[in-house]
Amino acid sequence: MSRGLKLRHPVAGTLAVAGYVIMIVPILFVVATAFTAGSTLRFPPEGLSLKWFGEALAYSPFMEAVVSSLELAVLATALALVLGVPVTLAIHRGRLPGKGLLEGLFLSPLVVPELVVGLALYQQLMIGLHLDNFTTLLLGHTALLLPYAVRVTGASLALADPALEEAARGLGASPLRAFVTVTLPMLRPGLISAGLLGFVTSFNNVPLSLLLQTRDFRTLPVTMLDYVQQSYDPMVAAASTLVLAATVVVAVVAERTVGFAKIFGGINR
Amino acid sequence: MTTPAAELVGVSQRFGSFTAVDSIDLRIPRGRLTTLLGPSGCGKTTTLRMLAGYATPTSGRILIDGQDATRTPPEKRDLGMVFQSYALFPHLTVADNVAYGLTMRKVPAPERRRRAAEALELVGLGHLGDRKPKQLSGGQQQRVALARAVAIRPRLLLLDEPLSNLDARLRVQMRAEIRRIQSETGLTVVLVTHDQDEALEMSDEMVLMRAGKVVQTGAPRDVFPAPADRFVAEFLGYENFLTLADGREAAVRPEHLCVVPADTPLDGQADGAVVLDAVVRDVAYRGVDVLVTCEATDPAGTTVRLVADHRADHTAAGAGPAPAAGDRVRLLAPTARLAPLTAEPATEGIS
Repeated sequence: MSRGLKLRHPVAGTLAVAGYVIMIVPILFVVATAFTAGSTLRFPPEGLSLKWFGEALAYSPFMEAVVSSLELAVLATALALVLGVPVTLAIHRGRLPGKGLLEGLFLSPLVVPELVVGLALYQQLMIGLHLDNFTTLLLGHTALLLPYAVRVTGASLALADPALEEAARGLGASPLRAFVTVTLPMLRPGLISAGLLGFVTSFNNVPLSLLLQTRDFRTLPVTMLDYVQQSYDPMVAAASTLVLAATVVVAVVAERTVGFAKIFGGINR
Repeated sequence: MTTPAAELVGVSQRFGSFTAVDSIDLRIPRGRLTTLLGPSGCGKTTTLRMLAGYATPTSGRILIDGQDATRTPPEKRDLGMVFQSYALFPHLTVADNVAYGLTMRKVPAPERRRRAAEALELVGLGHLGDRKPKQLSGGQQQRVALARAVAIRPRLLLLDEPLSNLDARLRVQMRAEIRRIQSETGLTVVLVTHDQDEALEMSDEMVLMRAGKVVQTGAPRDVFPAPADRFVAEFLGYENFLTLADGREAAVRPEHLCVVPADTPLDGQADGAVVLDAVVRDVAYRGVDVLVTCEATDPAGTTVRLVADHRADHTAAGAGPAPAAGDRVRLLAPTARLAPLTAEPATEGIS
């Protein structure tokens, strides 16, 4: 594809290739330095060893942060889907006025700067309402993931024939049974995609997590950022490489089970 | 007299300021095939959806088997609906699609399988139960939708433009197929269509609708030769309208107008026919026939544009070659073929 693109549109093709190079090459440097036997974060690595992976896995702040991040990502994703699916149904199947406004509202977290959201949540929820930082983070991340939940599940619902639910009703299904036996199976690819996207987005989020951190609850990216500010050794590279590996595994599983075209087809609509 | 399978009493459906269905009364006779016929936007689909329970009338009552069902939700009506898009569940096999209504009715598995198989057999797809809907052709999907609706032994079988997504040849085949299924099962069928040929061929009873109102009802053999008004006449393919000597308006089909040269003696041909002097304006050759467009003077003295379908075997007195543009001719319209129109002319709303 990139070959054809390059031949037919030389400028766009070159930009695309440059984009990939800029994104991927630095990552390769990080991965390479993670395998160093030396003790500085330098390229080329001084010798080959897995010792920094061992260090990273043994470093308790990282491990605690992984658990925190997973906890937060899983809960926020689940919450975003639970809230987002009814919204999607209302937008695509309901007969309510101002659908466009409603959809825009639920997509707005994509455009509002996260720092502003984080500061607002900090002021209002943590200071104002005295909520603990996990609850505040959970609410913030959920809001952040809502656009994916609404938009991506909406894409699979938009493709499904609205007469399907009517057919189910006509054949004797109550509204709830029609939802469970017909609508939900239609939504399945959208739910999986939105879930994956949401999970990755929450897991990787820095601005919100940075602003709403406390000593007791910190996500992995924030902990790593903190670590890099103090010590510049290859352990961070090893930790990053582990996160990268886990992400690749998730991506491969997603590709094998649902297919990327289906997953990301949802966002381009 | 038996209760009708369904009855609409003064039913209206308004969407904001738009009236889709305007206070209609309708009786759906039991065990027959009734078609709701009309151009798009005439309210026929809305009427069907109200019967099925997908729309609630703004006013009026709907009776099914003599019982009020106006506000009964669709799942409690026991009706089988075939959607224009078929609406087959893409994630279920054909057999599970057909069995869906039985599953919802908690029919035990062995009986469910047997009845689903029977329904598929009825539409001639007994061998495709394991496929997914996507793997079937449009015609086969249509049959599955039919089987799914029939499997629950519905009180009414409702078909919304069931043949509109099929190609022309298949459409004609399926007309006979739906009739066969109707007579084999004895079901009461209501079919919505905008195709007059389909309605004429399939109906026991036709209901012609226009702008949310019922304009004419009756058996095809009664409706076709006697359209109630100009709208129905145009919809049924009457292209010529003229005013008779007594002031009544009448419609006549192009194939019933006979073109003869102006200078030929009429002999006995004019007996029982209205004779009009005309000038040929346009001649279009179409293979089996020639379409002759004329400007004629009708018995009331007004100039009208008439189209005659000229075939060699039409003109009893020596057919002769088709006339050419500019020729002076006579048009013979047999009185028996003139359909007098009772209602006021209404030409708009034909799609």
